[in-house]
Amino acid sequence: MNIFSDIIAHRELLANLVMRNLKSRYKDSVLGFLWSILTPLFMAFIYLVFLRILARGIPMEEILIGVFAWQYTAQCIFNGLTCITDNGNLVKKVYFPRMILPLATTISNLVNFLLTLLVQFVLVAVLLGAHGQHISVFAFALPAVIVFHFVFCFGIVLFLSCANVYFRDLEHLVNVLVTALFFMTPAMYSFSMVEQIASACHFPVLAELYMLNPIAVVITAYRALILPGSAFPLTAGVAGGLVIAVIFVFAAYSLFQKLQKNFSDMF
Amino acid sequence: MNAIEARNLSKCYRLQGSVAPTMFGKLARMFRQEPPRLLWAMDNLSFDIRKGETIGVIGPNGAGKSSLLSLIAKTTAPTSGSVAANGRVSSLLELGAGFHSELTGRENIFLNGAILGIPKATLVKRFDGIVDFAGIREFLDMPVKFYSSGMYIRLGFSIAVEMDPDILLIDEVLAVGDTAFQIKCLARIRDFQRRGKTLVFVSHALQTVEEFCDRVFLIHKGKLVCEGKPAEVIFKYLKEYMGEGGGIHAVEYGSRDVEITGVRFLDPSGAETGAFTMGGGPLTVEIAYNARKRIDRPVFGFAVKTGNGFFVYGSNTQISGFNIDRVEGQGKIRLKINPLTLMQGNFFLSLSVHSWDHSVQYHRLEDWYPFVVKNSTQEQGIFRLSFGWEIEST
Repeated sequence: MNIFSDIIAHRELLANLVMRNLKSRYKDSVLGFLWSILTPLFMAFIYLVFLRILARGIPMEEILIGVFAWQYTAQCIFNGLTCITDNGNLVKKVYFPRMILPLATTISNLVNFLLTLLVQFVLVAVLLGAHGQHISVFAFALPAVIVFHFVFCFGIVLFLSCANVYFRDLEHLVNVLVTALFFMTPAMYSFSMVEQIASACHFPVLAELYMLNPIAVVITAYRALILPGSAFPLTAGVAGGLVIAVIFVFAAYSLFQKLQKNFSDMF
Repeated sequence: MNAIEARNLSKCYRLQGSVAPTMFGKLARMFRQEPPRLLWAMDNLSFDIRKGETIGVIGPNGAGKSSLLSLIAKTTAPTSGSVAANGRVSSLLELGAGFHSELTGRENIFLNGAILGIPKATLVKRFDGIVDFAGIREFLDMPVKFYSSGMYIRLGFSIAVEMDPDILLIDEVLAVGDTAFQIKCLARIRDFQRRGKTLVFVSHALQTVEEFCDRVFLIHKGKLVCEGKPAEVIFKYLKEYMGEGGGIHAVEYGSRDVEITGVRFLDPSGAETGAFTMGGGPLTVEIAYNARKRIDRPVFGFAVKTGNGFFVYGSNTQISGFNIDRVEGQGKIRLKINPLTLMQGNFFLSLSVHSWDHSVQYHRLEDWYPFVVKNSTQEQGIFRLSFGWEIEST
């Protein structure tokens, strides 16, 4: 059976798992959903202070957009890692398309991201309004970037979830890699800073190589669409980053499909 | 039409010890160059199950029964060969698997229902029935982590019975729960059968297998040893894999001056079997003996114990006043139990030959011969009592 029709046949299960993820995330704390706003806000504030100390003036709205988008990616990475192994009992006992689990994780994090995005919009609008600016008209194109971001995150979750079935100590490695990825991603700084550094050290190709990271492309695209006067660099590096993202998602998908048959034997 | 078709179905597991797989472990194994230890849980099985059939799967522990169900349910993939199920398959494997402890009973009904493939519309319609059968109405909005284990199982079961697949796989679920639970479960199985659904169930409760199944598969070491009518296959199983020295407490001793050389359980028509019906009869045990020398006034005795070793009944020819003057050479002695007043269960028969004064044991076979009794009534217990009722109103 085709995987799409298989997932559609199990849409009620998918919906229930998404609800489960969201409910169990919000249920245990009094502040519930508020935490998913407060965490990136605190992070944005810390970076802001830290960067001021380093005498790097990055506007607050740029940091907000970067940190919120990074937060979605990071949560997909950490929840995605364990989304199969945490449901080992289910995988062993009941048949359903295994892809439902990573899909539910990516979707429930997306729902959370979209909700935080609403708050982020208000904050960015206020910050822009403070110096007489408005959110860019190109913001209507955001859904395209969100879809791309979602698909790339789904690829990450597919890859990590099945890798974690075979290597349960992957978590430690991922912790290190996520920190590295964070600094390679323009979350608390902007891409223009990277360009400045690249040209300052007479090595402009660095900026191109930097954009091969699909998350860097995505975050820069968010900023370009929301903030007025912030241009999206249409360079070879960006094109490379997009191609890498597509290849990665397809590779993760076929790896998952190949390995999922034996998941239940690994518990 | 076939509901399930298996062709050369094989499943091999890599044994990797109890530790979870890790990157370091993998590296360590690569350097040590250990060949992986393999276990063939399923070895070249081919069979057809027709639509509407009820199949029992029996076999010793570790025979591959549960692996077979997992393969049919597609939760695990075959190493080679194929198994195809024609229709929607659901399995009643572990009740409450997939409950999320943080969620309330109400939320878990819908989550677990979705996992088992029950349409939401059905769950909404049957919601009150599910809640009432589980008896959790006042705990409905409490996270299930606060439920007692009984509530947990009852809720899991009352959701599971709402499944309406074409093929239902049941793995030892009947072994858990109290009597009321089991009766409800069996009633559900009957209902399934009436509606022409296909059932495959794994059970150690042989009398239930005998009672419900059209055909029985006997599996041993991943191979389909035999299949056929329940009574015949169960008999073969008891005889070859459980009894005849394979019983848990089985012991054999004696001077062998008189030896019990063979025992056959015969049904009323004289055919050899291992399964009998309570209230039916006679149950005939034909004991072949060989006396190496002339023995005067030997005593033949028998005893019946339940499968878990509870002593039910014992007697001998001396007590019954059936005096045997002498035995010499070969012969047969028949024990006739009529009517059979044992209730449903697995039993073991012990046999003995000893001298009149009990001073010499010629041959004793303890817990040697297994047989099964199935119920013909709703009465409960080990042994049927003869009784009547009287009523008097004042």
